[in-house]
Formats: sequence, structure tokens, C-alpha cells
Amino acid sequence: MKSAKTEVVVVGAGPGGYTAAFYGADKGKAVTLVEQDKRLGGVCLNYGCIPSKALLHATKLIREAEESKIRGISYGKPQINLEKLKDWKNSILERLSKGLTTLGKTRRVEVLYGRGHFEDSQTLRVETSEGQKFIQYEKAVIAVGSKPAVPKAFDLGNRRIMTSTEALELEEVSKDLLIVGGGYIGLELGTVYATLGSSVVLVEAMDSLLPGIDPDLVQYVRRYAESHFREVRLKTKVSEMATSGNQIKVTLEFEGKEKVDYYDQVLVAVGRVPNCQDLGLENTKVKTDDQGFIQVNEKQQTSDSAIYAIGDVTGGELLAHRASKQARIAIDVMTGEPSTSADIVVPAVVFTDPEVAWCGLSEAQAASMGIEVEVVKFPWSASGRALTLDRADGLTKLIVEPQTERLLGVGITGCGAGELISEGVLAIELGATAKDMAETIHPHPTLSETLMECAHLYYGQATHISKKAKIRK
Amino acid sequence: MDVKVPSLAENINSGTIVKIFVAEGEQVQKDQDIVELETEKAVAAIPSPVDGKVTKLHVKEGDEVQVGQVLLSLSEATAREEKQEGAGESERHREPEKERAEPPSADREKKETAGSEEEEEEPQAEEGSKADAAKAAHGPPASPSVRKLALQLGIDLARVRGSERGGRITLDDVRVYIEQLQRIALERTAKIPTRETRTLDFARWGYIHKQPMSSLRKKISEAMVASWTSVPHVTQFHEADISSPVKFIEKYASQYEKSGGARLTLTSLVMKALVPILRKYPTFNSSLDEVTGEVILKDYFHFGVAVDTEQGLIVPVIHDVDKKRLLDLSRELGELAEKARQRKVSLEELQGGTFTISNQGGIGGGHFTPIIHTPEVAILGLGRAEVKPVVRNGKIEEATLLPLCLSYDHRVTDGANAARFVRDLAEEIKNFKEDEVKLDSEETIRDKETSEKRQVRKTKK
Repeated sequence: MKSAKTEVVVVGAGPGGYTAAFYGADKGKAVTLVEQDKRLGGVCLNYGCIPSKALLHATKLIREAEESKIRGISYGKPQINLEKLKDWKNSILERLSKGLTTLGKTRRVEVLYGRGHFEDSQTLRVETSEGQKFIQYEKAVIAVGSKPAVPKAFDLGNRRIMTSTEALELEEVSKDLLIVGGGYIGLELGTVYATLGSSVVLVEAMDSLLPGIDPDLVQYVRRYAESHFREVRLKTKVSEMATSGNQIKVTLEFEGKEKVDYYDQVLVAVGRVPNCQDLGLENTKVKTDDQGFIQVNEKQQTSDSAIYAIGDVTGGELLAHRASKQARIAIDVMTGEPSTSADIVVPAVVFTDPEVAWCGLSEAQAASMGIEVEVVKFPWSASGRALTLDRADGLTKLIVEPQTERLLGVGITGCGAGELISEGVLAIELGATAKDMAETIHPHPTLSETLMECAHLYYGQATHISKKAKIRK
Repeated sequence: MDVKVPSLAENINSGTIVKIFVAEGEQVQKDQDIVELETEKAVAAIPSPVDGKVTKLHVKEGDEVQVGQVLLSLSEATAREEKQEGAGESERHREPEKERAEPPSADREKKETAGSEEEEEEPQAEEGSKADAAKAAHGPPASPSVRKLALQLGIDLARVRGSERGGRITLDDVRVYIEQLQRIALERTAKIPTRETRTLDFARWGYIHKQPMSSLRKKISEAMVASWTSVPHVTQFHEADISSPVKFIEKYASQYEKSGGARLTLTSLVMKALVPILRKYPTFNSSLDEVTGEVILKDYFHFGVAVDTEQGLIVPVIHDVDKKRLLDLSRELGELAEKARQRKVSLEELQGGTFTISNQGGIGGGHFTPIIHTPEVAILGLGRAEVKPVVRNGKIEEATLLPLCLSYDHRVTDGANAARFVRDLAEEIKNFKEDEVKLDSEETIRDKETSEKRQVRKTKK
């Protein structure tokens, strides 16, 4: 039985795990990184953010070419070589993953490929292809992430019922696709498949798409989905699925009435569950909540003093960049540097068409927390740049604390919102006020001007929109 | 929501639940104390972060809990539910925003230990319930680098006044805050004796005279404040039966007088008696190095003697008490006391003391609580000896009893040692040997005396 010693063992090599490993190594720790997959990068790089964004980009041109007609420029019907598209997408993953391997090597991070299992609070067993290995560690970081939730009733062992992982493999683009779940995964992949030729029906149990996000930001995405998908059915549940020849027979329930449809493929995107099973947590003092997410404090410490946890496995918003930030917090705390996740601003982006991005406090949150805020909205129809891009389907809004004029939240819908939101994140992190944003010159003509105009609007003095000016001190 | 053990204070990660103020099913209001937690630093109550109803208690009294551990679960805000019902809204799909159970407990702890005075003087952040709500959700407005610095320095930014638009806190604001804290801390130690009396106009109630403090008086004042405020004093009282030594003094006083004008007194006799006791209990002949945390034990015995002068208290030091005969000591004591009264004591003669004696017997004082002459760790006060009836073997007898008052630094030693010290000292004085007082032959004494003096001088050089 081999037993190796290390200062820090990181379980899981996604954006949280590899950041923890690399940062820990940069801070002088001996680090072992354990990954059960064949390559580094986790869900984000291999089965999530990166492949989905590659496919969204590749298909964007098809959508744009189509829209180009009304501007007097037409193209022929696109020829789609699915194999080539897959190869291109996979080449990106390959390249990024190789890059990570190199980055790990130069930092002397030891990488072990295999499944990690906690034997106790100081020992991790790793099932490698060369047999079991035991790691005696001082501190551990659990960064095993999450996986798509598949309700038992949908789990028929039929390849035609996919999760995001399979959908991103792009094995087949069939005619009739049902997407279960109107969250960001369903909408992003629905966009890809619809562009590639599928006839998409999307069902969502709640009464809106992207539940939880302010409705004014969602409206443009809803419009897009309604015009590009065959159908969007809200307040609709899937009560049953069954294999029916080459198709899936799906029973949908809407307002008490049942409807039976047949689909070539079904994408189940109803949420994600933590990868806590078979991790041996019962051999440690780590505690999980009723949904199985690991409980941590604002220092990313679990109830086991030797073990930290970061990223999706700790619940909350399941976002790669949040995991990376938590990785740094965990390593800082571990190495005696004060740090806390209590005051961080975590932006979120949905890469639909148009994109939706937000950070800080949302209108809905302010209302539910009883925080008095003032909200100002700048529609992109008033933005010159948006019109030149033929993308008036956008909105920028600021959520402002009225007494101090401090920016508490920023929300943007529109093309490129994902890139624009960082200015809002920085502004909130710096404690900036609406005045600060209004008085900062933004280049013309750009979409970033919408943030400045919105801030001017707070004072009733936006150039490109008419609103009765408020007298403010 | 779950209410968790908040971060308590620097390096405090756990505590014990002393008391739980709420029961399951009970309504609690925001800021209402829910449990009392004892840490190694203090006992602090933890308030509820929100209004709500206790759905489950996860801890019981006596439990050891860690920071971040769930104390109890609350179903939030009945008030909000009522509002929703009133407005006829039923939609509430969204998961409640994950709020942090983070009452500013470090502050609470500070308040409880430091009292209310501190609050008045400490720079306060602007108040306002709306601003507080936003702060509760977002923390004070400051850039990440300033927040990180505050975290490192242990500064609560909620107490710092931000100078920029929207109350934004800059690095300079933090600097100003730290300076304020330092100033307050310094003022507090310096101001204590005079602050209140200075502001009063006593002439309002009658005629007054003003007298400037002499520089000696100011020195004494400073030294006393320094000793009294920095050293935890305890004074041990005792009585020594000096019936027999008193007889020796009566018997030999005139002989001493003839031997160079030495005045044989109880003070010099007690000084001699102290030497074996200090050898036995060396911590009373030491100093404390607060920086290194070491007790410095001294192998020499230089005793300060409190001398009452017109200008005030002066404490000249008699060096090497252990090496000097009683005659020698008595003569030197008389000389030094006279020099002190004439303000002619050299600086050297005021330094190097290891222990001090203050004898009020001549004036007529009883027991008192002398203040330690720092950096020494103990001082012995002597009161007026009186003839009192004592019961011995069932009979009432006369005895001359000398009040002993030993003040000591409780950081360095404890009451039990002080009790042993005074007990043994009383025995030593009671059984003081006549041989030590007796003058054998004046010649031999003179010889010895002079040779010793030379030795002493040599070692001094």
C-alpha cells in the first residue's frame, strides 16, 4: 500500500480545483491535484462553459446571416459538417486542457488521475489506473463540482434522453427536440440546436424563463425563444417519459391537462446536483445540507478543520468564476492570510441571444430583503451603437441606493452583455456611486455608453433619452 | 434560514453555549438575543439577524460550537408574509437570498468588556436604518484592496467614516480612523487623574488657594499612577511580635549612638531580618520583564527606604544590606535619611533597589497599603508597634506587636507565597538574635567595617 504525503490535496480539477492547486503552489505549498476525468478542466472546460460557448459562437454566424437579409445582404443556405464542427470544438478543449497540464507542471503540482475517496480527515484514497494510492494530507480542498440532475422518471437508459454533457457532444441533431427546463442551460443549448436545424419545444415548470432573474431582463430572451423555437410552454411539467421506437413519448401536464407528444431527442436541464456521492465524506467531519451540498462558512471551511470546500459542491450559484474566487479565499485562509467570501460580488452571465448579465443586488432581491432602492433603465433602442448593430433588443439598468447614490446592482440584457457586466462588477466592488459612473467618459459609439447614460438618467439628465430631470443635491 | 455561529473575534473559532434564550416555535425579532456564547475572551450574546420564527434548535446549552455551525433555523419574516397576504400576492418561487448570519459580534464583545465610555469616544460611522440595511446586504462601500487591508488589521469598516461620495471609504479614511483610535487610547491613559477636577471651578463655593506642584510632587504623582495602573497590587497584613528585639534596641541604642552616632532602629533591624526571607522567597526580590515575559531574580539585596521629607517622599537605596552589620546599616540609614531630607541624595543613591521598606511607625500609622516602587515587585510597610494583650497557653500576656503590610505584584507571585513570606518574616523578627545586635569589640567591628566598605567600592567600580 503506497502512501504519499502532501501539504494540500485538491480533489477535482475544475476552475475551482485547478485555481486552488495552482494558487496553493504559488504560495509555496506542496500540492497534489486529484482528477477522476482523463483531463483537467472539469465540467466548465470539458462539458460546460467552453464547449457551449464554442458552439454558440459557431452557430451565431448562421443566425446573423439570416438576419442580414433585411439589410440587403443575403447568403446561401449554410452547409453544416457536424464532424468538422465537433473536431473544431474538441480542439479548443484539447488545447485549453493541455495548457492547464503545462501550467500545473511548471508549478510542480502533482496530478493524480483517479477517483478520490476520503478514508479519514487526513487520508485520501485515490483509485488510479495503477491501483489504489493513499495520500496523507495536512489540508484538503474539495472541489468536485456538480452534475446534471436527472429525475428518476426520466432515467430510461435511452441515449435519446440527454443531459447537457451529451448534448454538447453533438452526436446527432435530430428534427424534434424537447428541452425540459427553461434555465440558462436549456436556453443556451436550445439556441445551438435550433440554429443547427432542430425544431425545439421548451417546457418550463415555472411561469417564466430564467426563473429568479428580473423579468425586464428576461423579456428579450423570451422573445427570441418564442420566435426561434417552435414552442415555449411555461407552467408545464413533464409527468412521464417512455421509449417509443426511435422516439421518446413524453406526457406533458399543463394546468391539470395532459398532452402526449413524441420527440426524437430530449434534453433534460432541470438543475444540477453536487458530486458528493462515494466521496467518503462520512469518514470526515464534513457536513452537507439537505440537498447534499457541503456546508461551508465564509472562509470556505467545512465543519472538518482539515477540509475546505469550494465551488458547485458548496451550493449557491453554480458558477465557474465563483469557484475560482472561493479557491483563492480557501488558500488564503489556509495560509493564514485573512480572507472572506462575505463581501464578494459574483456576476452571472447567460449566453443566450441576446445575452443576459447581472451582478450585485437584483430588483427582486432588494424587494424581498426590504432594501429601498431606485432603479433606472436605459433601453438599447436609444443607443446609437445598438442600432448600428441592429440589436435594439437590449436593456441596461442600475439599482441604486437612494440615500448614498451607491450602485448596488447592475443588470444588462443585449448582445455582448457578458463583456459589459465587468464594468458593473468593478463599480460595485469599488463602492462607486451613480455619479461616479455618470462622470466617467465612455467611448462613442459603444454599447458601454448605455451604462453611463443609465447613470445620467438617474439624475434625469441622460442625453439620449427624455425624462423629467430630478433635482438632486 | 439557518442562523450560524458568527465569526467571533480574531483567533477565536469556538465557544460554549451558555444559555439559549428562545424555544422552538417562538417568534424572534431582528437583533433579539438568541443564545449566549462563552469564548475564552468573553461571554457574548448572539442576536438574531432577522425577524422570524424558530423552527428548529440545533444546539443545546453546554454544547461546544464552532464558527459557522448552525445554531437554529428560522422561518423568516412573518411581517413580510403578512404584507404579501395583504397585497394579494402569492408568487414566491424564488429561493430567499442566501443571507449571512453575521451580527457584528466582535463589536459586541468589545462593548461588553470595555463598557459604554468607549462608544462615546470612538469615531462612529453615519447612522441611518436604510443605509444599515444596504450595508447589511453589501458591507460598507470600499474597494477590495481597502477591505482586505481592514480585514488584515482587524478593523471593522462599518465604524469608519467614508469621506467620498456615497460614504465610500478610502485608504486615507482608514488611516484617519487608526490615528483617532490611537489618540483616544493615549488620551485615556494620560487624562485619568486630572480630567474631572480641572473642569470644576471651586471658587464658586468659597475662597481657594492655588499651589503649584513641585517637580518632586509631579514625579511622585507620575510614578504612583504608573505603578498603580500597571501593577495589580495586593497587600498582605500581618503582625510580628517584637517584644524581644525591642529590648535589644533599648539595651544597645546608646552603645550604637557612641559608635559613630549610629541610630539603632526597628527599620534597620527589619532590613537585616528581611535578607534570609528574601533568600528563601527570591521572587519578592525580582523584577518583571514584560517584553520577554521573564522574571529577573536578583542575587543582591539593595533596599530602598521611604523617607518623609518636606517636599515629599524620597526613597534612597542602601546597597548590599546582606553584607553589612547592623551597626553599619544603622549608621548608613541615618546618614542617607538626613541627606534625603536635605535633598542631597545622589542619583546613584536612589537607584538599584530590589525591595523597599516604608516605616510609618515613627509617625504612628497602623496598617496601610503601600504602593510598589516599580520595577521592584514588593514593598514592606511597617506600622507603629504597640503593646497588646495576647493569649498564650491560656494566659493573657503582654506583647509588643508590629504591623506588617506587604504589597506585592500579583503578576509575579501569589497570595499564598505572600502569606508564607510575612509569616516567616514575623518569626525571623520575633527571634532576632541578640548576637546580631551586640557590638563585640569596637576595634574588630571598625576593621571589618572599613574592609567591607572598600570591597563594596571595588565592586561598584
